[in-house]
Amino acid sequence: MSEILKLENINYSYIDGGYQRVILKDLSYTFEEGKFYTILGPSGSGKTTLLSIIAGLDSANSGNIYFKGESLDKIGLYKYRRNDISIVFQQYNLINYLTAVENVLLAMSETDNELPKDQKAVAYNLLERFGIVKTKADRMINQLSGGEQQRVAIARSLASNVNLIFADEPTGNLDTATEKEIIAIFKELAHEYGKTIIVVTHSDAVSEMSDQRLILKDGALFEDKQ
Amino acid sequence: MNFLNRAFKNVTRKFSKTILLTLTFFLIGNLVIVGLGISKASENAKVLTRKKMRAVVTYQLDYDEIYEYAMSLTDEDELSQFYENYPRINLSNVAELLNDERVKTANSIYNTLSYGGNIDYVHLGNRAEESSGTGESCMMDENGNEYCETYRSPQFFLKGNMFPSMIEFEDDEYNIVKGRFYTQEEINEGNFVCLVSEALANQNNLSVGDSINLLASDYGTSYLEQIGASEEDYKNDYEIIGIFSHNKPITPDSSNYDWISPYENLDNMILMPSTTIYLSSLTIQQKEFDYYASLEDMHDTGYYSNPENRPSRDNMFKNMYIDNAVLLLSDPLDVDKFVEDYSESLPQFTMLDANNDEFNRLAKPLDTLSMYANFIVRLVVINAIVIITLVTALTLKNREYEIGVLLSVGASKFKIISQFFVELALVAILGFSLAVGSGSLIAKRIGYTVLEYQISESDVQDDGGKYYYGYSIWDEDYTNDLTIDDLISEYEVSVSAAIILEIYILGLGIVFVSVIIPSFMIMRYNPKKILMNQN
Repeated sequence: MSEILKLENINYSYIDGGYQRVILKDLSYTFEEGKFYTILGPSGSGKTTLLSIIAGLDSANSGNIYFKGESLDKIGLYKYRRNDISIVFQQYNLINYLTAVENVLLAMSETDNELPKDQKAVAYNLLERFGIVKTKADRMINQLSGGEQQRVAIARSLASNVNLIFADEPTGNLDTATEKEIIAIFKELAHEYGKTIIVVTHSDAVSEMSDQRLILKDGALFEDKQ
Repeated sequence: MNFLNRAFKNVTRKFSKTILLTLTFFLIGNLVIVGLGISKASENAKVLTRKKMRAVVTYQLDYDEIYEYAMSLTDEDELSQFYENYPRINLSNVAELLNDERVKTANSIYNTLSYGGNIDYVHLGNRAEESSGTGESCMMDENGNEYCETYRSPQFFLKGNMFPSMIEFEDDEYNIVKGRFYTQEEINEGNFVCLVSEALANQNNLSVGDSINLLASDYGTSYLEQIGASEEDYKNDYEIIGIFSHNKPITPDSSNYDWISPYENLDNMILMPSTTIYLSSLTIQQKEFDYYASLEDMHDTGYYSNPENRPSRDNMFKNMYIDNAVLLLSDPLDVDKFVEDYSESLPQFTMLDANNDEFNRLAKPLDTLSMYANFIVRLVVINAIVIITLVTALTLKNREYEIGVLLSVGASKFKIISQFFVELALVAILGFSLAVGSGSLIAKRIGYTVLEYQISESDVQDDGGKYYYGYSIWDEDYTNDLTIDDLISEYEVSVSAAIILEIYILGLGIVFVSVIIPSFMIMRYNPKKILMNQN
């Protein structure tokens, strides 16, 4: 499998109460296409910070990140977020004055990637694929359950036709049954559609289902051999 | 789902917020419309009234400046020299002003009375006429001997201009019926040509090409005898080159009818070049000079001992000056600009007077009203900006999450700011559109009430402009009679398309300025902080 995201000597620290707090230290790792990764680690280990850096929401103090061999500095963070990645959050992060389908269309309207002409039909299809039928797709977000909202968020992440999807505790607010469904979707995306899924999680159920478990410890990433 | 679409959805789906903001803009819109409506009505009333006025500017000596300069001279010789070379308006200065395309014509009038000739004047048959005619007045000399002089009443009014047209013809007060007006060449040469009224021509069976004979002055017989002159020395023939009509007929209903002298009747007015009027009495003036020059005791003055001072045609043209020139402009609205354009370049001790004093005095309540109205508009706009900025900034706090989501999907900050601008603009347009109807009604109500109050508080209602005791032929004031009613009649508070457009532009301006500060806040937003805090 070919590499999609390469982290090279990433360092991140901040000053807290007069002391420098090191979060990431010379972190290097290469993610491959079509795999489902989970990143584990104790609270405060820097999982979310790492995710925000590799998702282009923040910048490291030093080090390089390459997406398909091209430096993020060269691509630009806005463009990277718009065209190359998408993010799924624990709180779903959907816009509440839009319907489910409009939230999916939102991602499609921002990307420069080539998309089918009938975007609305594609959005409905995507939602339907994740169990959101048309009647529900036309509902406002707050009229959907948590699980349904997370499915909408996942549909949105796929709408812009990107290959790299990040998720931060995507099942944190969901019941076990829904959690399983979401994990199954991620696996399907990775294995059937060749997407790379990187999920930050505390959940063993999620990590056990992933292709590669990564442990963030002392500012560096280690592959879990188990 | 581009930013315009999102903005529209936000406005239509966040209903309570939209209602509150619409109400805010509605109130702002009403106040702005009231202010602008009243201000525009005041300005329009002034413009329309100004248009009704004659567009005249008087070029004249600046007597205040002359007085101040004379007072500043401490040396007696300097002062007497200044008075000897007293500032004059010369024709070349006026010619420069006449070349301006905004000027239609000019009047520099020289009037005199004529005391008869070979034509009969147009009679009114009033009491003044009964007591006019010829008579004799007797006095005692220093030796106690009685001496008598015959006198006659003036019958004709000679009106001369230095320019080959007259304001009265441009304004259609006079109209050429036959023939033509005199030319600049005839003015320069002092040709003995004239225009007579239609009534005078009819009475005396005169036509263009005929000549009339007039006495250019009136001297007592003993005085004429004393200086060795006769009536023939100021009796002249004038060729009729034109016949004119006028729109100021005198009827028995005319004010002060009984005491209107024959020469005050415009039917008895004869138009000719000013230079012709000067030359009409040249011979008698020369004889007077010769007589006084022959008296040795008159030589002390030095004037009569100098032959160069003897009146002559050359001397007259060489020393010709005018008291003032009244310029008629094509457009009354050009008057102030015209004065402004030339004020700096005019020769010292001369000035252009736009005759604005009366207009400005009467327009004062409207100016005050306009000032307050503009003040209200400015105050409302500033308050609106502050209020909308605060509302937007506070709303922004609640929309951090949405901003974070938009940033995470790659939306640019510019697009996010644009979305907020469009949202506010849509609400502003809605609020202002609703305010157009109500604001118009409020503006009318308030506008008239406040104007009435302003007029009652000012002194303009006491004096309805200028009052004339009938019509005076000597009156050379070319400004129109103007009353406060003239201005009020033009005062109409209405919300025109221009005001509506202005309100929308102003509204978008308020929105634009109001979005600036929140925009800086958005620019500082970090998507990681927003979203990670949410999660």
